[in-house]
Amino acid sequence: MSILLRNIIRFVLLLLLQVFVLNKILVHQLVSLEMYMLFILLLPFNIPRPAVMLLGLLMGLSLDMFMNTMGIHAFACVFMAYLRPFIINILSPQGGFETNMKTPSMISMGVSQFVTYISILVVLHHMALFTLEVFGFGNFGYLLMKIVFSSIASLILIVLYELLFFSKK
Amino acid sequence: MRNLIIFLRRYFNFFLFLLLEVICIVLVFRNNNFQKTAYLNSANNVSGKLYDRYNNVQYYFHLKATNDSLVSENARLHNLLRSSFDSMLTSNTVVTDTIRLYSDDTLHRVVGTQLRRYLYREAKVINNSVNRPVNYITIHRGRLQGIRPNMGVISPTGVVGMVRSVSDNYAVVLSMLAKSSGSATSNFGVSARLIKGKETGTVYWDGANPGYAILRDIPRSVKVQKGDTVITSGFSSLFPENIPVGYIDEISVSDKSSTAFSIRIKLATNFYNLQYVYVIDNLLKDEQQQLEDSIYSLTK
Repeated sequence: MSILLRNIIRFVLLLLLQVFVLNKILVHQLVSLEMYMLFILLLPFNIPRPAVMLLGLLMGLSLDMFMNTMGIHAFACVFMAYLRPFIINILSPQGGFETNMKTPSMISMGVSQFVTYISILVVLHHMALFTLEVFGFGNFGYLLMKIVFSSIASLILIVLYELLFFSKK
Repeated sequence: MRNLIIFLRRYFNFFLFLLLEVICIVLVFRNNNFQKTAYLNSANNVSGKLYDRYNNVQYYFHLKATNDSLVSENARLHNLLRSSFDSMLTSNTVVTDTIRLYSDDTLHRVVGTQLRRYLYREAKVINNSVNRPVNYITIHRGRLQGIRPNMGVISPTGVVGMVRSVSDNYAVVLSMLAKSSGSATSNFGVSARLIKGKETGTVYWDGANPGYAILRDIPRSVKVQKGDTVITSGFSSLFPENIPVGYIDEISVSDKSSTAFSIRIKLATNFYNLQYVYVIDNLLKDEQQQLEDSIYSLTK
């Protein structure tokens, strides 16, 4: 399956999963399950940076359309997309990741590298998202707890997704 | 000039990033203006239809609960029918009925000298959330069926929210579960009163638990008890009087010098399994509005 097709399918799948499954699950007021940003995290390494940001905007706006939160998810998603190359640069070994491994995964980056990469970006995404959603630092403890618990929940989901769907190619 | 172009090219990514974020921020704040008809929301064609499909499936799992609430409401309405009142057949007793009769057509206005004030329209809930700071409900009724922004929405058991924007066949309802002090979005408080003492206060949601809300501005001189019913006051044009808002759950005083209680109430509406709601059309609202506007233009 070509990379392009694979990513288009992943876009639709993650959007539907987020809207019709994860948004319907109530764990606690402090835990909101977010997984749609995995689409941005799993884009190929060599994709140009403006394209990553535009795709982030597209993904965020599509989700916002379903959730009536115009612009909030798009903001967080673009923020994360902008920071993604920096994080990859920091984590990559000398000379970059192997060129035949085109997308980030546990195989291409190694388990610990991959988990670090995912966690940093997910936490940054959640910080942007909830700060804008709650709007203001008046209730700082609430905001902080929401970021921490939601990040943990999202990370568990993403790692499970990776373990389920990763391929040895 | 050349330097400027070089500078822009060098930091192209950063500027693109700033541009996109500014677009997002503008969207956030533009959309937060109350009652502005937004097209990119869950009432538009694509997402509205998808939610509709999804609801068709999910609806079956809630049939039992929905039936229960509809049956109990039917029973309540049966009790209001004239046929269920027993008239004492003595010649000098006046039987006062508790309801007034109107003609059956829904096209409102005058029957005799009485004006119809409120018109209820039922609507199917096709999307609902409770776990966000500001929650919205999408219903399958829109402009073509007479829904307009600013109408009140209730469920069989209590207050739900108000219509915020409409498309042809769908409408988005701002749920009572909208955290007031939170974002610039809204300060959605429902004007409410105690059924016993008639004191009025305001009910807000504090963002903590979708089952509970806070009732403010009840003076400490009032005797309140756990379990007392809180109903709408009828002061706002959104809701008629006497619609249940909730039941008092916990009474506390935020600090000793304050003159008002802060009361936690259990909401009358169960937001977790909303299936049908009623949209309330206040038919006299325009008239009142016009009168008030004409006064306003005179004084200006």
